[in-house]
Amino acid sequence: MNAPIVGRIVATEKRPNTAHEFHFWTSLDSPIGIGTIVRVDGEHPVNGQLPRVYGVVVEGFSYTDLQSPIHDVLGHDGAPASAAQAATLRAEIRLYTAHVLRQIPEEPLQPVPMGTVSLAMDEDVNVALRMDTYLTPGKSTGIPAGVYRAGSMEAPIYLDAEFLCGPEAAHLNISGVSGLATKTSAVEWLLSSIFTHFPTQKGSVAAVCFNVKGPDLLFLDQPGEIDDADRAIYERLGVKPGPFEKVRYFAPYTAQGFSLNTLRSNEELAHNVTPLTWGLNEVMQFAEVLLNRDDLDAKADALIDFLQERVINRDFTDPVLSTPHRVRSFSELEAFFRDLLRGMEDRGSAEHWRTHHVATIRKVRNRLSNISTRCAGLVTDEGSVSDLPFGSFQDRTVYVVDVASLEEDAQDLIFARVVSKLREHLERRDLGVSHVIVFVDELNKYAPGDGPDTYVRKMLLDISERGRYLGLVLFSAQQFRSQVHRRVVGNSGTAMYGRMDMDELATPGYAVLSPATRTKLATLEKGQLMVRHPHFSQPIFVRFPRPAVLRGRDGAEKFPPAIDVPIEVAVLRSLRPLDPSLSLDWVKQTIAGHDDAVVIRARNETLQARPERVQQFFESRFRRIVPSEPVTAPAAVPLRGRPRDDPYGF
Amino acid sequence: MITVSDSTFMAVRRRLAAALSDAGPAGAPRPLEISERGAREAPAIREATVIEGDRLTARAVPGAPEPRFDAFLDGSQITLVARWHEAVPIVHGSVAAAIRQRRGRRLTTWGSPIVRRALYAPLPLLPKAVSRALDSAGIDIVDTLARRDAPSSHPFALQDVAYQCVMADRERVEQELAAQWCSAERGLLFIDGGIAASATVARATNVVGVVKSHQTLYAAADDLGVVTSLKSGERSSVMRVEGTARPAVASWYLRTADAAGRDPFWGLVRVEVSLDADAQGAALTGRADEVSRWVLAEKLPLSVPDPRWDRMAYGIRDTEEYLRAVQ
Repeated sequence: MNAPIVGRIVATEKRPNTAHEFHFWTSLDSPIGIGTIVRVDGEHPVNGQLPRVYGVVVEGFSYTDLQSPIHDVLGHDGAPASAAQAATLRAEIRLYTAHVLRQIPEEPLQPVPMGTVSLAMDEDVNVALRMDTYLTPGKSTGIPAGVYRAGSMEAPIYLDAEFLCGPEAAHLNISGVSGLATKTSAVEWLLSSIFTHFPTQKGSVAAVCFNVKGPDLLFLDQPGEIDDADRAIYERLGVKPGPFEKVRYFAPYTAQGFSLNTLRSNEELAHNVTPLTWGLNEVMQFAEVLLNRDDLDAKADALIDFLQERVINRDFTDPVLSTPHRVRSFSELEAFFRDLLRGMEDRGSAEHWRTHHVATIRKVRNRLSNISTRCAGLVTDEGSVSDLPFGSFQDRTVYVVDVASLEEDAQDLIFARVVSKLREHLERRDLGVSHVIVFVDELNKYAPGDGPDTYVRKMLLDISERGRYLGLVLFSAQQFRSQVHRRVVGNSGTAMYGRMDMDELATPGYAVLSPATRTKLATLEKGQLMVRHPHFSQPIFVRFPRPAVLRGRDGAEKFPPAIDVPIEVAVLRSLRPLDPSLSLDWVKQTIAGHDDAVVIRARNETLQARPERVQQFFESRFRRIVPSEPVTAPAAVPLRGRPRDDPYGF
Repeated sequence: MITVSDSTFMAVRRRLAAALSDAGPAGAPRPLEISERGAREAPAIREATVIEGDRLTARAVPGAPEPRFDAFLDGSQITLVARWHEAVPIVHGSVAAAIRQRRGRRLTTWGSPIVRRALYAPLPLLPKAVSRALDSAGIDIVDTLARRDAPSSHPFALQDVAYQCVMADRERVEQELAAQWCSAERGLLFIDGGIAASATVARATNVVGVVKSHQTLYAAADDLGVVTSLKSGERSSVMRVEGTARPAVASWYLRTADAAGRDPFWGLVRVEVSLDADAQGAALTGRADEVSRWVLAEKLPLSVPDPRWDRMAYGIRDTEEYLRAVQ
């Protein structure tokens, strides 16, 4: 069906059409607006073919035949209200400028010819955005990103999975002001879409999301409210409106160590929340993340390397040491340092041990021991480990790591280790899935354009530059794109923009956009995004549905976080998923008289072992306490009295 | 590629250049309407019979302006010398007329505009070979001397005759279109200029002519002061205006804009309507007042930047702009 003609191409010497830009006018009531995709039908054949040009409107002008505003003032004697008395409305024009999306035929590339302008229909949109090249029936790699609307027409917009999740290009970056439910909502929607439409031939896909603020991503498995308009978009795009079916949450403990440091602590939702705790082995590889590079010199580095290569996880003996050591946890590392320093002092060789100066040894001891304090709740002294299921990741599963309440050091450590492990496993092809989407919000913080070159930033750069070959895809979001490292956003094949701040839009990165497009971005309503994708030669505005999951704030109200509970309740909550028959009385009885640290270690060991007989295993972790017996005081023997007549007697 | 039916000035000039291989001088592409050589009507005063009262007086138009016109008609012409054969000008004339209908306060074209183009030349003064070449130019040829006499064979006199012919043709297409309106529509038509050129139009009760030019003034010499002293919103008494071989019409002067500090013709127009023999006394006054209110309502929006904006209705300016686009 041919769309009705809504405009005509115009060109003047002062405002000519070019191969990449053209102008047209429309009637005053046409449905054309900024971002509308139009089709131009040329009137004279080129090489026997009538040219057809697709463009997106980037600027609009309106004016009348009035030469000067003062003429209107004079005409109405300075009284604006009398303008309504004018018998005739002035001749008025709607003049639009559009940027070329595609020309057919593509060669020879010529200036846009004179012709008629009509709204692009479904099929036109496919051709204009080159979506026809990847929506081949049976081999489609299209991932629905939203719908494009113009007038009463609505067309689905697809991203190419090869360019969104690799290997051709990859990564997605979303910018937008906070609080307008754009960035997080868009990612949640897009993950739903990817999970539904990820091409079979590309393998499996999972997502790892870092929840960096509040309860944003903590209720992805709970249904949220959507309206009929959203439901219609879901239907149009072939995505089932519902929460994610497979979600697992990971959160470290609080510094006290017995309740999880997350807002998803309501008992009703505890079934899929797993503690995230690491020991020495997990942390040492990423010690660099936590150690201040200005503080640590080459000598300290050398000692740390020595410890990693020769001491940790190995039976280590040395004449200086009083006993052989096998270091597997921070507490064992502390014991090793204590023994080493005492030995050096005792032997009088206080200055050096194996070329390492005693001051360096003390410094490294101090910095490494400090880690478990700084990352309390995440890093355990005793070495118990509860980690993401690297190696057994499941297809179409979301793994949420809640780092929102953690200190910056702990956040960096989690981020660095999780992403590095993902990368290692993807390189070895043994992660469990072939593609992982990593979602990181607040990218300004983790990969800033200026500031020190941190480990996390280097790692993000590495993912953004090489991740696409591995199937490691970075979905990142931030408020100010201009403040993120250029190579990170530059390597994002797909970029999305929600409502933007005018100050941000004034930065050079947005100079390629027309003033009208920038203004539209500054006033974009909820649920709308501007999308740039390698196949689209110009940015396109799309509308996406509200994610059908419970929003963070609503979730926090519906499932209020558990208040701080005593250790016995915390232990019960941790162990109940393993054995629902456990009772509070039993826990109280079992842990009575034991230190909190011992109880926590027992719980961690139980959670790690996941034994069949939970009760028995947990009890076995405690040393038996011999019941105390009352001590009877011996009978007092009276002192012998002094003879009255012997003043010197004793 | 230019088709034979292409009768635009440049196409015709190219064809003439090809046909007349003797390569006579081409005319300068400057319309005679804006050049000093364009013919001008001589200023004149013509007496007219006052039919409202016994003498010409100024009368305030009562009531508020009422926008009642449904459409506006205007014509335009472009006269260019396409070629000279020795001292004889061969003139390309293009005349057009259009009606812009007002719907919802916006103007759109009613029916089809009339656009006609022709070559105007004094054929008896041209050699037969040149006349034959003109015939092959793919455009109508008008012998300017067939209708009028040239005062001399001075090239500028011949040019003036051609100009007058084009002007007459313009008036003809205007009246043709006005007659079409009268036969098809009942709505009120505002015509730029007089209405007496066509008997049909002159008798139509739904047509009002508004004359902006005052080369010819209709008043006794003693009454000219009444006309030039009209204040904004005042009109003169109704007169019976009759031309040679033209039907009589009722006419009066109307001041549409305050002329204080300006020349006496600032904002002054002459309104023409059909002459109703039965309309006398209060009926005649009422009709003149009513039509004046209609015309006064067309003051807004201003027709700037046209230099005649003090007298020109916006609907007429819009029609002129339209003709400029299509002619």
